[in-house]
Amino acid sequence: MKRKLTAAITTAALALTLLSGCGNTSNTPQPSNEPAVQEPASGETSVKDTADSTAQTGNGETKTVTVWAWDDNFNVAVMKEAARVYSETSPEANINVDVVSLSKEDVYVKLQTALAGGGSGLPDIVLLEDYVSGKYLNTFPGAFADLTDKFDYSQFLSFKVDAVSQNGKTYALPFDTGATALYYRLDLIEQAGYTEEDMQDLTWDEFIAIGKDVTEKTGVQMIVEIANNKTTLVRAMMQSCGLWYFDKDGNISIQNNEALAASFDIIMKMKEAGILFEAESTEGRAGALNNGTVASVVNAPWFISSIRQAEDQKGLWRAARIPRISTLDASINASNVGGSSWYVLENSAVKDEAIAFLQGVWEGNTDFYDTIMRNQGAMGSYIPAYDTGVYDEEDEFFGGQKLNGLFAEVLPDVIPVNYGGYVAEANDAITTALANLFEGKTDINGALEQAESQLANQLGR
Amino acid sequence: MKHKKKAGPNYNRYGWAFIAAAFLLYLIFTIYPAVESLALAFQSLEGGKYVFVGLKNFKRMFGDAIFLQSLKNTFLYMIIQVPVMLMLALLLAVMLNSRFLKWKGMFRTSIFLPCVTSLVAYSILFKMMFSLDGIVNQFLMHLGILEQPYQFLQNSVWARAVIIIAMLWRWTGYNVIFYLSALQNIPKETFEAARVDGANAAQTLFRVTIPQLKPIVLLTAIMSTNGTLQLFDETMNITQGGPANSTLTVSHYIYNQSFVYAPNFGYASAISYMVVFLMIILAIIQFSVAGKEG
Repeated sequence: MKRKLTAAITTAALALTLLSGCGNTSNTPQPSNEPAVQEPASGETSVKDTADSTAQTGNGETKTVTVWAWDDNFNVAVMKEAARVYSETSPEANINVDVVSLSKEDVYVKLQTALAGGGSGLPDIVLLEDYVSGKYLNTFPGAFADLTDKFDYSQFLSFKVDAVSQNGKTYALPFDTGATALYYRLDLIEQAGYTEEDMQDLTWDEFIAIGKDVTEKTGVQMIVEIANNKTTLVRAMMQSCGLWYFDKDGNISIQNNEALAASFDIIMKMKEAGILFEAESTEGRAGALNNGTVASVVNAPWFISSIRQAEDQKGLWRAARIPRISTLDASINASNVGGSSWYVLENSAVKDEAIAFLQGVWEGNTDFYDTIMRNQGAMGSYIPAYDTGVYDEEDEFFGGQKLNGLFAEVLPDVIPVNYGGYVAEANDAITTALANLFEGKTDINGALEQAESQLANQLGR
Repeated sequence: MKHKKKAGPNYNRYGWAFIAAAFLLYLIFTIYPAVESLALAFQSLEGGKYVFVGLKNFKRMFGDAIFLQSLKNTFLYMIIQVPVMLMLALLLAVMLNSRFLKWKGMFRTSIFLPCVTSLVAYSILFKMMFSLDGIVNQFLMHLGILEQPYQFLQNSVWARAVIIIAMLWRWTGYNVIFYLSALQNIPKETFEAARVDGANAAQTLFRVTIPQLKPIVLLTAIMSTNGTLQLFDETMNITQGGPANSTLTVSHYIYNQSFVYAPNFGYASAISYMVVFLMIILAIIQFSVAGKEG
């Protein structure tokens, strides 16, 4: 008996190592059930890069503003550019902006742990996706600075401002948008007997009809989505109707959500027609497009950099507004998937300097927006920047199409929705429901019912 | 007694000093977090502050369909993978210990080699092997078994099978080493006696070798059970818990509750303690099954 007891205690001690491991399981590269598959993760580099180290030589004390972001070629590069511009336009501010590049998962895990643990080790400015905005604002009230009076928000896209606002207060500076477009291979469409004209302002039914012809005549599947996370399409379709997983008051809206039912129906039709290529990962999706096994994809502006990887396809690509849902009158040919914004931490020692830095560059400086549009393809939310010449520029890769102009045209149409605080939970519920639907275990109504109850269970409602 | 005196009056103090550093680290990084997380299990994050909620977190588990699914998955891995792995390991160990085997060093090294690979790296390799254009699909198509590539990781049964196959590859060698060292400690006389008595290979294995390996079998069984209950890296990297949560493990769910979903560290801690509780129960069961005669 004594031996058994000793053994049980030893086992318990062994097991305790599980608990202490609870807080640091961040060594995982790409969990795909993140709130949204957005910018490609930049890997796990945490190389600190001092944007303007020469500021140290200025008079007075140089203050450092630390920024966390996650993509070396995108938002990290954009923030470094902002720091460079600020040091030129406001040298008297004498700040040193330190942009720390982490993986997106690490930004969230570190932020979540630091906030839950009482707030040490936090940056001064952090980039968050709009999908997780509600989660952080709900869970950690008072952690982020109220910026309502700091910017003239009428100059920013209203759906972006809505996404970062709560109870009438605005907590972030809107950065990039996920203005959704249908990117397609014109050469394959033409082989099937269609033209660029035919791809404008489609309905999903028309899109599927074209897709069948393309797949039949060229042997190439029409559209790609990630197998274990088809929510990009679902979210794009939902917001095209101004609907979401939650209603305006934050109540779960899945079982009776017409747009969700329609999106499940459309995705099933795509599968049955054999025009849907299910990629296994984000890399697989980009790979399928680059090696020509798929003819189109629905995604946000930042996805273009993945399409551009295939240099031999230069000139073959075009972009168009996304199709709408024919059975729903509310559905329009415009939507949004993802997008992110800059938050200032309330307890930052350099809060005022951080806000002044955001004001100095991100409000009023249209040249800066031009530069980041041109260099990083970053589609900002600052409306006055849409009138500048960069939106008339032709894109060689897209056969001379005015690609930026297309986004500038789509954006004002996007219908604001209340993302709420539980997008990750909702995405998982929908992913599970779709997987069961695909395996033939249930029908659309059953799948939606199941998703609603899973989500309600998760949220304790 | 005399010898002990020779060690000096500070003998005990030195002893404590030597273990102090390690114990301090153990205290800070294992005991303290464990105690804190026990406290956390009874709390919930509401409006940015932790509030005491009593047993709410524990009650919630029983109605949480995803948690129950993850528990079911974890036990499924355990029930299938642990026995298969241990039997395989024992078989390999006995073969490696054979007097007739040449190139022992090479075989031992290659069987142990998977254990030194990184969990994430090998998981990603298995994901690639079982992907649409992976080597498994190509091999099966080459043999004519499949006509079109099959999405192994999108089928709930196959996805679980892939996880189990991956774990077998990674962990069998680890257990072989334990058995091998134990086999070498078995007195040779017992084998000789068996041979003299005319026992065949199978009889020797089951009547002589395995009974003498019992303590080690028990040790590896408990370690593997522990390891399986904590399974995380494999499902996270190979399937992300999909399709439809069919490969989700409890640890993976704890991670989701902490870092993917709206942070719920209290609930996550409660689940962790549930796992601890299950491990203790399982260990007691294993001891009582194995310890009947001993």
